Amino acid sequence: MTEVPVKIEKDGAWVTSKIDVTESGLTLREPYNKDIPYRSIVDLRQHKTVLLLTATGESKTENHYKIASVEKVLVVLKKRIIMSCNAYRLMAHFMSPAIRGGVLVTDAKWEKGAVAVLKTGIWFVSQDKQVCVPLDEVTSLELTKRELQKKKLDVVKIDFLDENEVVTSFVLCPLSTLQVLYSFLKDATKDKDMKGAELDQLDAQSAQVAMLVYSGMDTHAIENMLNISQTELDAIYETLLKLKLVEVVMIRKEVQLTPKGVRYITEALRPPA
Amino acid sequence: MGRILIVDDTLFMRTLLKNILSSGGHEIVGEAEDGDVGVEKYKELQPDLVTMDVVMPKMNGIEALKAIKSLDANAKVIMCTAVGQEQMVKLAIKSGARGYIVKPFQAPKVLEEIGNVLGA
Repeated sequence: MTEVPVKIEKDGAWVTSKIDVTESGLTLREPYNKDIPYRSIVDLRQHKTVLLLTATGESKTENHYKIASVEKVLVVLKKRIIMSCNAYRLMAHFMSPAIRGGVLVTDAKWEKGAVAVLKTGIWFVSQDKQVCVPLDEVTSLELTKRELQKKKLDVVKIDFLDENEVVTSFVLCPLSTLQVLYSFLKDATKDKDMKGAELDQLDAQSAQVAMLVYSGMDTHAIENMLNISQTELDAIYETLLKLKLVEVVMIRKEVQLTPKGVRYITEALRPPA
Repeated sequence: MGRILIVDDTLFMRTLLKNILSSGGHEIVGEAEDGDVGVEKYKELQPDLVTMDVVMPKMNGIEALKAIKSLDANAKVIMCTAVGQEQMVKLAIKSGARGYIVKPFQAPKVLEEIGNVLGA
């Protein structure tokens, strides 16, 4: 048994506490004083230094726990939970991140470990690494081939958003398992697929605008690059908004000076007497 | 900050890269729409760094990279390619590319990569 120092949240308050990590589960001390068998854990998410754990109780109701600690402790907890919880798990090689924001990660390497599919995300776990891909953040999936030791092997390519950066990861395992994983992920994220009728609403210029937004260009830069007016760009934004391809993050104001403002500027520019 | 030459056959990608790199304080000293023109412009402009598309109609990016490296062994070239062509990476790195950008890309990461290569 290992005892780890944590803070546990209950009813909005954080309590300094400890967790006993055993072979069969976790024992949360204050404020819960509760045993949580690994098999009852159905979901695990991480937000910075906080783990969000979901476990089913005796009456099949889901209970949520927030546990905060230093990364070293979280690594121990995550590894035990992911490898023993109630999830679809497969042994696999993975590379994550392989590409970040379109830039190839030069020291990326294949890692031997496991992939665990939980309720809201998939976890890659190896000796040194634990990477979570929340299903809500998956932007693209592809069954493709990668060269490994001079052989072209089937892999699943997963793109997801991580703090506004698009990250690409690869999973490698036997083809039959790979197809199961791909089908599961495809199904779990199908609401983000573009339907035929939706595609018809996107012309070449709308696609260019979407691409420029992806690249981080702001409204002014897009108008200049595509040589279009603010009104034209607004109309394209409306189409993208309607298709839920973008969301509004800021509304800018265009202003003109009032007579008081003009007087202030005139005075400010007057040479000193 | 560096003097950069952009080699890409699509005007859209050249404009996008120009915009991203200028916003990062870099000077765009030239543009080329094909590999052979890129090599000529490299000779003429001697930029600090080249962003090179891989797939171009007359001379592809790998050939152009090799030609530039034969002119200047220390040339800093970052390859740029579309998703699905990542298998070109090994060939490009073997041919002397300093970095690799996959389209579509995001401005902050591109600037970070360019900064790393220029600083190296």
